[in-house]
Amino acid sequence: MAIEAQAPPPSATGPAVWLRKHFFATWYDTVFSLVFAVLIYLALKAFIGWAFVDAIWRVENKDLCTHDAGACWAVIESRGRLILFGLYPYEEQWRSTLACLAVIITIALSCLPSFWSIRRLPILWIAGFATFVLLMRGGFAGLELVTSEQWGGLSLTIFIFSAVFVIGMPLAVLFALARRSSLPVIAKSFGFFIDIVRSLPLLALLFAAAVVVPLLVPDWLQGNKLMRVVIAFAIFFAAYQAEIIRAGLQSISQGQEEAVAALGMPYWSLVIDILLPQAFRNTLPSTINQAVITFKETSIVTIIGFFEVMASGNAAIGSGEWGNQYVEVYVFLALIYFVFVFGLSRYGAWLETRMRLGHA
Amino acid sequence: MHNSAISIHGLEKYYGDFHALKNITLEVPDKQTLVICGPSGSGKSTLVRCMNGLETYHSGTLKVLGLPIGDDTKVMDQVRKRVGMVFQNFNLFPHLTILENCVLPQIRALGRDRTAATREAREHLQKMQVDIHAEKYPDQLSGGQQQRVALARALALKPEIMLFDEPTSALDPEMISEVLEVMQELARADMTIVCVTHEMGFAKAVADRVILMAEGEIVEEGTPEQMFNNPQHQITRDFMEVVNG
Ligand SMILES: Nc1ncnc2c1ncn2[C@@H]1O[C@H](COP(=O)(O)OP(=O)(O)OP(=O)(O)O)[C@@H](O)[C@H]1O
Ligand SMILES: [Mg+2]
Repeated sequence: MAIEAQAPPPSATGPAVWLRKHFFATWYDTVFSLVFAVLIYLALKAFIGWAFVDAIWRVENKDLCTHDAGACWAVIESRGRLILFGLYPYEEQWRSTLACLAVIITIALSCLPSFWSIRRLPILWIAGFATFVLLMRGGFAGLELVTSEQWGGLSLTIFIFSAVFVIGMPLAVLFALARRSSLPVIAKSFGFFIDIVRSLPLLALLFAAAVVVPLLVPDWLQGNKLMRVVIAFAIFFAAYQAEIIRAGLQSISQGQEEAVAALGMPYWSLVIDILLPQAFRNTLPSTINQAVITFKETSIVTIIGFFEVMASGNAAIGSGEWGNQYVEVYVFLALIYFVFVFGLSRYGAWLETRMRLGHA
Repeated sequence: MHNSAISIHGLEKYYGDFHALKNITLEVPDKQTLVICGPSGSGKSTLVRCMNGLETYHSGTLKVLGLPIGDDTKVMDQVRKRVGMVFQNFNLFPHLTILENCVLPQIRALGRDRTAATREAREHLQKMQVDIHAEKYPDQLSGGQQQRVALARALALKPEIMLFDEPTSALDPEMISEVLEVMQELARADMTIVCVTHEMGFAKAVADRVILMAEGEIVEEGTPEQMFNNPQHQITRDFMEVVNG
């Protein structure tokens, strides 16, 4: 029997086949798919009706905002600036916008692998923060002075988050290395310190930084309240991140350290070139997770009198005039948080794929 | 005697209560190849790892290239720049490309500039016939290729002595010979070599001397011919029977 060259069986493609394979493969798949399709349809229809079709957008139509109507986005038009800028003086809010952009650009640039060098990252961040502080604070070249008590809204949130991350990360590396030190005194005392910080509630630490430190520390060392709070927050972040980094270090085989020693490379090179890059690679998902948690936790500074974006949102509905529109304001806030946190998660996922493909 | 690359006298080493090296005395003359063999747990790794200070010892003297091995970090830096080592598990840096694996140590250990280091690295990768993989990462290479990269990485530092700890025992059989071949070339090119291995073909081909260790002691020592054809001790006879199948 002659064996004829056969074309491979026609691989089934097309939308119908795809649908059958993914949603209607078995009878219970079919049931689930149909039930969820109906639920999703109903939910979407209700949301779109509320958020778009029946929504009231302009402040001049404010009177139409009733319980029966859709979303009253007029509140965002009227109070949006308060939410985004807090108590920052109205006339100067362009500065807050630029400052916020400066930090966002800095974050975006430092996400690019070409900026990952011991020299470039610090320069980038010092430039980013300096721009932020100069713009926000002013007091030179005809810019009105705005002290940090008046800073607020989204730019404050982003500033606190990035400052905590950027100060906290080197601290975390230091803590992790110290806890692994071969000198028992250093290893034990840092271990003790890390465990203490981790067992305190963040709120207690921030209160201590804001209220207690001024009572104990001489004036010249106090800095301002925002600075103290950021540093306390950064130490809190570092205590958690240090344990993540330590886990990453522990997962590296002893052989790496031996190879470095046998090659005659110095200790600092072992740490910077070999151990830390591998530790960060090994713990990327937990590190991104920690960043996400930290971003969301920034809202806690409200309680010690900082007007970050969440507090500004509350103020926007607290005035009575827009008191009924709290759902709209919270949806708007949720959207802001979502954009940042979702962006962070996607960035983490991108990094992971990139590393799986073998890049440093 | 001046032309002794490694000279060991009355070396003792303990792991806690366990006596791992017992009264080891050994000379490795310049440009010679020494093969260390012996049953598992006999202290072979411990001995070679003492030679570049990866393990400490308790008493006796151990000099490498005339330098006393010990706590003095300046001396140890000197020693490690002049003594290369290849491990059983290659220990390449997984987050760096093959090329960077060979370039970085030159920059960090010897202070070479990147251009010179890259040239040197490429030259050695080519000698080891892995230069086409220069831009890949270690986990994209076979075991035999990785071990040759490890060799290139060590040789790029221009060491005077090379230490090998079972360089082929993590390899699949078909890859063993490709690594042994480059090691033999190295031995014929007058490198001083100390090699822990059970590959008796390698020992016969290039070893000037073979020592057999058991339970922390050097049991027997001689030329490959003496050791294979006319072993004096029962342990050696048993061991040779096992490794020669
Ligand atoms: N870090 C350590 N702590 C305690 N005991 C150790 C340590 N390293 C090695 N030993 C012991 O010392 C002895 C010699 O070990 P070594 O690794 O030198 O043997 P080896 O001859 O290289 O064996 P193999 O052929 O299995 O590699 C072994 O009994 C081992 O259990
Ligand atoms: Mg061994």
